[in-house]
Amino acid sequence: MSSFKEYISGYANGLKSLLIGMRTSMKVFCQKKVTEQYPENRHTTLHIPERHRAMLVMLHDENGNNRCIACGLCQMACPNGTIHIVSEMRETEDGKKKKVLVKYEYNLGSCMFCELCVNACPHDAIRFSNDFENAVFQKEKLLLTLNK
Amino acid sequence: MTLDYYNLEPLLMYIHTSLCGVMPEWLALTLEGVVVGVIILLLYVILAIVMIYMERKVCAAFQCRIGPNRVGGKGGLLQVPADVLKMLTKEIIKLKNADNFLYNLAPFLVILASVLTFSCLPWNKGGEILHMNIGIFFILAVSSIGILGILLAGWSSNSKYSLIGAMRSGAMIISYELSIGICVLTMVVMSGTMDIQMIVSNQANGWNIFKGHIPAIAAFIIYLIAGNAEANRGPFDLAEAEQELTAGYHTEYSGLHFGFFYLAEYLNLFITAGIATTLFLGGWMPLHIAGLEGFNAVMDYIPGVVWFLGKTFFIVFLLMWIRWTFPRLRIDQVLTLEWKYLMPTSLVVLLLMTVCKIYGLTF
Amino acid sequence: MELKDKIKAIIPQAVFSETGELVVTLLPDDFRRVAETLRHDKEEPMDYLRDIVGMDWGDALGALYYLESTVTYRRITLKTSTADREQPFLPSVCDLWKTAEIKEREVYDFFGIRFLNNPDMRRIYLREDWKGYPLRKDYDMDSNPLDLDNEVNSDTTEEYYLNSDGTIKGHENTVFDRDAFVVNIGPQHPSTHGVLRMRVSLQGETICKVDPILGYIHRGIEKLNEGLTYPQTLAFTDRLDYLSAHQNRHALCMCIEKAAGIEISERAQYIRTIMDELQRIDSHLLFYSCLVMDMGGLTPFFYGFREREMILDIFEGTTGGRLIQNYNMIGGVQADLHPDFQKKVKAFIKHLRSVIKDYHDIFTGNVIATTRLKGVGVLSREDVISLGATGGTGRASGWANDVRKHHPYALYDKVDFREITYTEGDSFARYMVRMDEIMESCKIIEQLIDNIPEGEYRVKTKAIIKLPEGVFSSSVETSRGEFCVVLESHGDKYPYRLHYRSTGLPLVHAMDTACRGTKIADLIAIGGTLDFVIPDIDR
Repeated sequence: MSSFKEYISGYANGLKSLLIGMRTSMKVFCQKKVTEQYPENRHTTLHIPERHRAMLVMLHDENGNNRCIACGLCQMACPNGTIHIVSEMRETEDGKKKKVLVKYEYNLGSCMFCELCVNACPHDAIRFSNDFENAVFQKEKLLLTLNK
Repeated sequence: MTLDYYNLEPLLMYIHTSLCGVMPEWLALTLEGVVVGVIILLLYVILAIVMIYMERKVCAAFQCRIGPNRVGGKGGLLQVPADVLKMLTKEIIKLKNADNFLYNLAPFLVILASVLTFSCLPWNKGGEILHMNIGIFFILAVSSIGILGILLAGWSSNSKYSLIGAMRSGAMIISYELSIGICVLTMVVMSGTMDIQMIVSNQANGWNIFKGHIPAIAAFIIYLIAGNAEANRGPFDLAEAEQELTAGYHTEYSGLHFGFFYLAEYLNLFITAGIATTLFLGGWMPLHIAGLEGFNAVMDYIPGVVWFLGKTFFIVFLLMWIRWTFPRLRIDQVLTLEWKYLMPTSLVVLLLMTVCKIYGLTF
Repeated sequence: MELKDKIKAIIPQAVFSETGELVVTLLPDDFRRVAETLRHDKEEPMDYLRDIVGMDWGDALGALYYLESTVTYRRITLKTSTADREQPFLPSVCDLWKTAEIKEREVYDFFGIRFLNNPDMRRIYLREDWKGYPLRKDYDMDSNPLDLDNEVNSDTTEEYYLNSDGTIKGHENTVFDRDAFVVNIGPQHPSTHGVLRMRVSLQGETICKVDPILGYIHRGIEKLNEGLTYPQTLAFTDRLDYLSAHQNRHALCMCIEKAAGIEISERAQYIRTIMDELQRIDSHLLFYSCLVMDMGGLTPFFYGFREREMILDIFEGTTGGRLIQNYNMIGGVQADLHPDFQKKVKAFIKHLRSVIKDYHDIFTGNVIATTRLKGVGVLSREDVISLGATGGTGRASGWANDVRKHHPYALYDKVDFREITYTEGDSFARYMVRMDEIMESCKIIEQLIDNIPEGEYRVKTKAIIKLPEGVFSSSVETSRGEFCVVLESHGDKYPYRLHYRSTGLPLVHAMDTACRGTKIADLIAIGGTLDFVIPDIDR
C-alpha cells in the first residue's frame, strides 16, 4: 500500500513542481525584456566603459606631434609581435644625433589587448581607445600606422 | 441569400448549384476539388508561417528577449517569409550510401499525414473539408502515417544520430498514441458519435469540458501532454534533441526536404490544438453563459471560424508555454510517464466517463 | 613525522633540492617504491596525485609528481628521470592513482616518455601520426608541416611492460571492439562545451565506454611560454579556462611573486579576492545556464545569462575586459577599482539574491530535472580522489578539497565561508554544490567589499623580472577545481618550463567512470555537471 501512496504523492508533487515552473516562466513573460538593440542603441543605451580596450592609438596634440621617442620598449613587450617601429637617426639643430620615429606600425589583427605595450611606454605616448567597431573586409586594412 | 456566420453549407451549396448550371457536374466537382486543394495547401503554408512567427515571439518573451525585430518593420513580420524564401533556395543535398528512394520519400510521408489530418479540422459549420461519419477515427488513422516518415528518414539517412532519433521517436509516438486514443474515446463516449460535426454541434449548449466536468478536464490535460509528445515538441522533443543528437531524424536533410519536416512540426502543433478545441472546447461554438442573454447575443456575432482559430491559438500558446518552461525528458522517463502515469490515468478517466454517461451525470 | 624523514627512511640516497621549493629526486625504481609506500601509508595516505609534470632537462627526461594527502592536506613533490633520450621508460603509477592514466599520456605525447604498465599509450593531444615530441628542448619546429589529411583513430593501443628477463616488451590493447557501435560526439557538437570529441560505444541507448580525444584547440601555450618573459606569460592564462580568467592569472602572479619575493599590498589582495569570487559567480551562472540548456530547457538559460551580463559589465568597468580581463599583474593589479565598483557590486548581489529563487523554481525543483539528475553519473569519494577530480565535482562526492580552505591564499584565511560538500556524488549533488557556492561567494564579497583598505594597487617591480633557480608552484581554487602553476626557473628572464595543471583534464577523464551504464542523454547532463572548459584542457 505504501508504494501506492508513494506513487500518488510522487504524481502530485511532480505536477506541483511543473506548475511552479510554469508560474515562474509566466512571471518572466510579463517582465520587461532585456534585449540590447545594437546598433540602434549606439547613441542611447550603449555604454562602453572608458577602460575598454578596443584598439591601440597614439596620442597627438593639436599640432599633430606625438610623444613617441621610438625607444622600442613596446615592441619588445608585445608577446605577439604586433607592433613594428621604424625609426631613423636624425641630427638635431644643436648637432646631437637623435632617434626619430618614422612609422609606428600596429597590426590590429594579431593584437590580444594585454596592455603590456601601454605599461611599457615610458612617455605615455600610446593608449587604448574604445572605438570597438573595427570589422573590415580585407585583412590588410588591419595593418595600421598610428603616427601621423 | 443571406450569409449565415454559423453555417457555410447554404453558401457552398449555392456555389455548387450555380457551377452545375454552367458546366457538367463532373467538371464542377473536379474544379471544386482543385480549388479546395489549393486552398488547403495555401492555408497550410500561411498557418505554418503564422505559427513560426508566433513561436519566435512567444519564446522570446519567455526568455526576456524581444524576438525578431528587424526584417519588415519593428515587429519583424517579414522574418519568417524571408526564412521560407531562403529555405526554398537551398540545395537539396544527395547523400552517399543513403537509401535514396526512402530518403526522398520520408519527408513526403510526414507532410502527407499532416495535410490529411489538417483537412479534417472543422473550421466552421459546414466548413470542414473532409466530412465523414467516422471523422475522429480517420484522424487517428492518418496521423499515424507521420511516424512512418520519421522512421524512414532516420533509417535511410545512414547516420547514427538520425537512427537513434528515429528509434526514440518511434518508441515514443507509438506509446503516446494509446493515451491519445483513449482520451479521444472518452470524448466519443461522451458525445455518442465519431462524426466531428456532430461532436461540435452537440456542444451548442455548453462545451464538453464544462459538460463532462472532472473526467473531461482530466482527459483534456492528458490529451495535451500526449498531443505534445505526438507533435515531437519539448519537453518531448527527444527525437530531435538538439543537445544530444544535433537534429535527430532530420539531421541529414537540407533545403525543402528539411522544410517539409519543419512545416509538419508546426502544423502538427496546430492540428493537436485544433483537435483539442474540437473535442473539449466546442470547436467553432461561441462561449455561452446561461442566463446572460445580452452577452450570449454579442458572442453570437463573432463568426465561427474566429472562435475556432481563437481557441486553437490559445491552446497553441499553452503548449508553447509548456515547451519553453521545461527541460527535456529522457527516453526511459518518457516511456515511464506514458505507461506508468498517463495510460492508467486515461483508462480510469474513460471508465469514469462511461459511468458518468450511464448515470446521466454529464450535463 | 616529517615527510622528508619518511622518504629518507625508505630511500636514504634521495636527493632534496636546495633552491626553490622542496623537490625529492629519486631514481625510477626507488620512485616507484616511495610512491607505493606514500600512497598506502596508514595515517597519511598520499592519495591525491595533483599533477604529473613532464620535464626535459637536456641531459635527462623525467617528470615531477605532485602529491597531496586528503587527510592532512600536506603536499610533497617527487621527481624522477631517465637519461635515455632514444627509448625513455619510466614506471607507471596508474595503478596507484587512476588520474595517472591520462596524465602519463600527456607526458608521453609531449616528451615521448613511455610508462611501463600503463594500459593506454596513445597520443592524447596531437595527431597519432605526429613526428617527434614537441615539448622536448631539441624538437625541430619544422618537422610537422600542416597536414590536411583526415586523421584515422586506431582502435588499438600499445602497452609496455618489463619482462622477467629484464627486457621491455609491448603488446596490443583494444580500445573498441570491431563490433562495438561507436558514435562520435564532437568536436563540433552543440553540447560538448567547446571542441571536445568523444567516441562513445553504445548498447542501444546505454553507454558502454567513453573515449575522449583531445587537442582540437591545443595552442601549445606551455611551449610558447618558454620563449616569453614573465610579464608576457601572463597574457595567456586568461585564455586557458576563460571562465576562471582571474583565478588562473592570480595563480601565476602568486607563483612569480613568491619566487621573486615580491610582497603585494593589502589593497591588491582585497581586489584580487573580490574579483576571484565575482569570477566564480560568473562561471557558476554560466554553468547553470549551460546545464539547463544541455537538458533541453532553453528558457532558464537566458536567466543565467541575464545576470551574468551584470557581472561582465562590472568587470568591464574596472578591468576594461569582459571575458579576457588582463587584470592581475606581477605585484598587484593593472588598475585601481572603478569609483562605481563597490556600489555596482552591492547592487548586483542584492539583485542576485532576489532572482535566485526563480532559478530554483523553474529548474531545481522541477520533477523532470530532478529525475534526470538524481542518482545519475555517481562518482564515489574514492573515485574522485583517485581520478583527481577537484572542485565542485570532488566536493559533491564528499571530498573536502577546497584550496581556499586547506591552503589559504590571498584573504581566504580572513573571511568566513562554508566549504560546500555533498555526499551523494551524483549529477544533482554536483549541480547543488555550484548553486550553493554562488551564495557563499556572495557572502565572501559582502564581507570584503566595504572594508577595502586604502593603499597602492600595485607595487613597483623591476623592469626585467628574473627568478632564482628552482621549481616553484602555486595553486588556487578556480571555478571548477584546483588550478596549479608549476614553474621551473634556471635564473633567466624566461621560464625554463611553465606548466599549468588543467582542472578539466581529470574531469574529462572521469566521464568514462561516470557515464558507463547510463543513457546517451545522461552523457550530456553528466558532462554539463562535471563542468569542464575545453581551452583549459587543451592549453
